Amino acid sequence: MAATAAVVVGVLGLLGVLLQAFEKGLGTEGNVPTFILITLNGLTLAGLYFISASGLTLIFGLLRVTNLAHGALFLLGGYVALELVQDAGMSWWLAAVLAMGASGLVGLVVHQLFLRWNQGQDLRQALITIAVSLILADQMLAHFGATPTAIAPPEWLAQPLSLGVYDLSYPRFRLAMLVAALVVGLLFWLVYTRTRVGMVVRAGVDDTQMTSALGVNVQRVFAAAFFVGSALAGLGGVFAGTALSLAPGQDQSFLVSALVVVIVGGMGSLGGAALGALLLGLVDQYAGAYLPAEYSNLSALLTFVLLAVILAVRPTGLFGKAR
Amino acid sequence: MTGAATGPVLRVRGLTRRFGGVVAVGDVALDIAPGERRAVLGPNGAGKSTLFNLVAGADTPTAGSIELFGADVTRLGARQRTRMGLSRTFQTSRLLTGLTVEDNLYLAAIGVSGGRLRLLRTGRDRTAREQARRTAESVGMTDRLATLAGDLSHGEQRQLEIGLALVAEPRMLLLDEPAAGLSRSERQLLTALLLSLDRDVTLLLIEHDMDVALTVAERVTMMHDGVVIVEGTPTEIRADQRVHDLYLGKAHV
Amino acid sequence: MTMDRMLTLGTRGALAVVLVVVALVPVLCTTFFTSQVGLTSLWLGIVAVSLTFLSGYGGMVSLAQTALFGVAGLIAARLSVESGWDPWAAALAGILAATAVGLLFGAVASGSQGIYFLIITLAFAQVTYFYFAAVPTFGAHEGINGVRPPAVLGDPVQDPARMYWFLLVVSVLAFLGLRHVSRTAFGLALQGVRDDPVRMAALGYNVRLHRILGFTLAAPVAGAAGVLSAWSNTRMSAGSISLAIAILVLTTAVIGGLNRLEGAWVGALIYTLCDTYLRGWTDRFTTWLGVVFLVIVLVSPGGVVGLLGSAGSWLRHRLAGGAPPPAAPSTPAPPVPVSSGGAR
Repeated sequence: MAATAAVVVGVLGLLGVLLQAFEKGLGTEGNVPTFILITLNGLTLAGLYFISASGLTLIFGLLRVTNLAHGALFLLGGYVALELVQDAGMSWWLAAVLAMGASGLVGLVVHQLFLRWNQGQDLRQALITIAVSLILADQMLAHFGATPTAIAPPEWLAQPLSLGVYDLSYPRFRLAMLVAALVVGLLFWLVYTRTRVGMVVRAGVDDTQMTSALGVNVQRVFAAAFFVGSALAGLGGVFAGTALSLAPGQDQSFLVSALVVVIVGGMGSLGGAALGALLLGLVDQYAGAYLPAEYSNLSALLTFVLLAVILAVRPTGLFGKAR
Repeated sequence: MTGAATGPVLRVRGLTRRFGGVVAVGDVALDIAPGERRAVLGPNGAGKSTLFNLVAGADTPTAGSIELFGADVTRLGARQRTRMGLSRTFQTSRLLTGLTVEDNLYLAAIGVSGGRLRLLRTGRDRTAREQARRTAESVGMTDRLATLAGDLSHGEQRQLEIGLALVAEPRMLLLDEPAAGLSRSERQLLTALLLSLDRDVTLLLIEHDMDVALTVAERVTMMHDGVVIVEGTPTEIRADQRVHDLYLGKAHV
Repeated sequence: MTMDRMLTLGTRGALAVVLVVVALVPVLCTTFFTSQVGLTSLWLGIVAVSLTFLSGYGGMVSLAQTALFGVAGLIAARLSVESGWDPWAAALAGILAATAVGLLFGAVASGSQGIYFLIITLAFAQVTYFYFAAVPTFGAHEGINGVRPPAVLGDPVQDPARMYWFLLVVSVLAFLGLRHVSRTAFGLALQGVRDDPVRMAALGYNVRLHRILGFTLAAPVAGAAGVLSAWSNTRMSAGSISLAIAILVLTTAVIGGLNRLEGAWVGALIYTLCDTYLRGWTDRFTTWLGVVFLVIVLVSPGGVVGLLGSAGSWLRHRLAGGAPPPAAPSTPAPPVPVSSGGAR
């Protein structure tokens, strides 16, 4: 019953958006061009959400660790890339790779030092990562200051791309973000389905005991997963720092977005993360643009209402396993 | 309640539970008379535990019906069945580890008698406390009343596990491998305790240990691959060739 | 036996001495100390104890306590400043509203456990924060300034003594009330649900109802803290309930110790003292706070109170002349809910 109500509200919302977009017809003076831009904004934002959420869901799915320092590692990646591009004059691409390495390394150290020997105590691990995120965020504030700054995009992505409809053009970099998300998703899918490590990862998602029985060095796989997951947080930070900007406090807001994405989809499920990212990105952008003016400042609220409704109906998320 | 006195306490018909393509329990029929002691035996994977969970209300059947005390309970949860007078134990002890033995038993008493949400202490509290202490005595735990359940030894935890099922004075008791992990002497204590139970209580017990099961039970149901293959008295079961091939032969190797 | 009894009496005596010393703070200390350290650590302790109760006795680590704190505080502030309500009536309305919101939150969140519960309550915290930050009725980001506490309690800035004593009384009442609840049938069953929900369902309990009611019961405590905070600071805004503050309350409760109710005030006092005096010494206050948090979680799951408790029983052990340490403490300390079992 609650599920039906939720679906009805969702469909009504979407109809409302479409009505506003198409009520004045398909002409140039109608609302369709704006609708296209807003949809692209939603999709590219979803790409950014997916990149950072995929790391979070990988770590949770395999290790059952909810890494609440994920936001701090995200911001760290952004700041490292910023410093390398701005001060060391490094190319954006190299800086992005090094930033991923830095976030991955810090994540790995946290895992090895604090989390590894607390395996199975999920709340305690969550508290540990909260403490780590407090420390990291304060240290970043000390080293990088409080002024919002953006990373300069790579040169050939700096110019807008003409879309070929309604004379619209759109920032190339934001489209690249969407492509990157697709690449990350594809890589995950290939590793999961085609490699032995992927099989272990999937087995781990289902049953940790079974993984041990497979005779693989589980601890090494865990460490690698933590590195990759944290590196993806860093990559998300680099993209966010280029497309948007970097500032203290963004660690928390992106952590919360990534959590919402992962929870909506079901923790540990990659497909769920993709769906969650899409939902969150589009709802966020559509709500900001199409809610009646007097409610538009409530758009930030909507994503959390979405989360609460989904969890009330399905306590483990859309694709989460019941047990 | 009056009507149920003559009919079976538990009546199971066509009970089936599938997990994906695997049939864990297939078309099982079972009638248990008031006061009967029944054991369900079978090798690992025979579907005993699934059957047990279906009867206790911890799992829902794919098909079939369960009648308890004459009422259809197929769609009722564990909580409602408990309040009707059904008690169960768990195969691996599930105790309230942060509470004392007495508080464990006390909560089990008021779980059925009511007053679960009370924020004040009243006279009814005293009755429940006395019930808790009486049960502690009958399972031999009087000197452990103030100990945290989490600090008990394995044997003591099994004792408390049975105590929790007994406090509420159930009309039907489901025991899931009560002898699991017990030493020989502890098993003898357990057998004695089960034999001393009031005849008003109907007993359904799943057991791996033949000695305990065949001593306590009056009738035995033998399961294999999710279906009942034979039912009879312990003597008949001991003599049955199929049982020997399946189970006793392996158990005595 | 007599030794134990004497020690119990000793503990009670020590508690009484602590209470007397705490009550004398406004007489013995400066106005600055009473207002800055005293008031803050008391209301922070009250909101933290609502979390300690939920997590210690219900196994529910909630980040939504500051949201309930904000609902009560902001509604009370709005009603007394803008609508001219009597401060007491406004406070009551705020606390009732927080309780109703708590019931709603509890009803939604009670289906989730452990880490899922933590995250869904984090979502509630964010919803509430964004709501108050956006709605002009509650002053949006500006908040509501010039909140006047009831006249009997005096001016919280110039002469905080009476306000301090009032907060102390509320703290003691909250402590005694929650401790009482923990020993009733309801409270014991709540601890049972914390330990093993499956077992409790098999014993005839409605596990979800128990969680909802437990959560609702803690809501007015958090709400009262919100009102007291608005009175003490004469203002409240959405910033008072941001995610950072929600995490701060969690930090406070963890540092004090999630096992025992008094840990909330111990943690609050430690935090407030550091916040007041350490900031002059270091720019990296938050880093040090994080380090202390980390060390406590890693080393002593029972927090500072847990450490003191172990030190105390070691001392008793020595005093009793090598006799075995007392088998059980006077009130059984529930284990820290380090693992939720939610995945099962």
